[in-house]
Amino acid sequence: MPAVRSGDTFRIPEAPLRLAAIAAGGALGTLARYGADRALVPAPLGFPWATFVVNVTGSFLLGLMVTLVVERWPPTRFVRPFAAIGFCGGFTTFSTMMVEAVQRAQHGRAGLAIGYLVASMAAGLLAAIAGMASARGRFRLPADRSIPDPDDLAELYSDPRRPPMDGGARP
Amino acid sequence: MIVLGLLVAGAVGSLLRYAVDHVVQRRLRSDFPLGILLVNLSGSLALGVLVGSNLHRGISTGWLTVAGTGLIGAYTTFSTFTFDAVRLAENDQWAFSLLTVVGGIGAGLGAAAVGLALGAMA
Repeated sequence: MPAVRSGDTFRIPEAPLRLAAIAAGGALGTLARYGADRALVPAPLGFPWATFVVNVTGSFLLGLMVTLVVERWPPTRFVRPFAAIGFCGGFTTFSTMMVEAVQRAQHGRAGLAIGYLVASMAAGLLAAIAGMASARGRFRLPADRSIPDPDDLAELYSDPRRPPMDGGARP
Repeated sequence: MIVLGLLVAGAVGSLLRYAVDHVVQRRLRSDFPLGILLVNLSGSLALGVLVGSNLHRGISTGWLTVAGTGLIGAYTTFSTFTFDAVRLAENDQWAFSLLTVVGGIGAGLGAAAVGLALGAMA
């Protein structure tokens, strides 16, 4: 769909912009995870700290962002694709965790593999809960202050006739 | 060059995840996060193959980083997985929540093990 001029406003079609936001967030999240991999190089078949730290912090961030977008902020269109689906999705990884665990188990370190999985799951779930609770103001005093909309794009291209796009979608 | 490859691979992997999840979840008349489960299982299998073949046949480390860390790493996700498990529990859908966690980890380990074995054979 081409960009359309209607009156004085120049509107860019939304679907490609949302996909672009996912791609941009995913690219940055992946680069951030690579940075963590480089910074926290594990001993061979040791505890995979980089993946652990990335997955736990990403779980906190996703819980925080999705809850803010869905429950606290005015409707936005690009925060969720960029920050949640893109950045947090690209930042955290499941496949690396699985391969790391299997490799350790196959090299006689089954205890470490199980500990890694249990620790990742426990810390990841707690981090997601903590992120959601933070967004709901459970961890601070002024509970009912409205938070300003940080999404410039939604302001620029907002169209009051359309329903909010971020409302019911999945992260 | 690695950074450029990672940026492209991360973007493509994230879009692939969104596409698969979107298509699966739209057809599924259930709150169970089957889309992300399928993404994570297929990604674990694929990374197993890639890492297995790297160990045994010497694929260059640059390619392994772009394809493994970049593409497959961004394709699969842990944060949506934990978020879904908590969200389902919050909605009192405890069976789905438990299935998401236990089924995801169990099947994910199986997929990675099969992938590693396949990669070593290829």
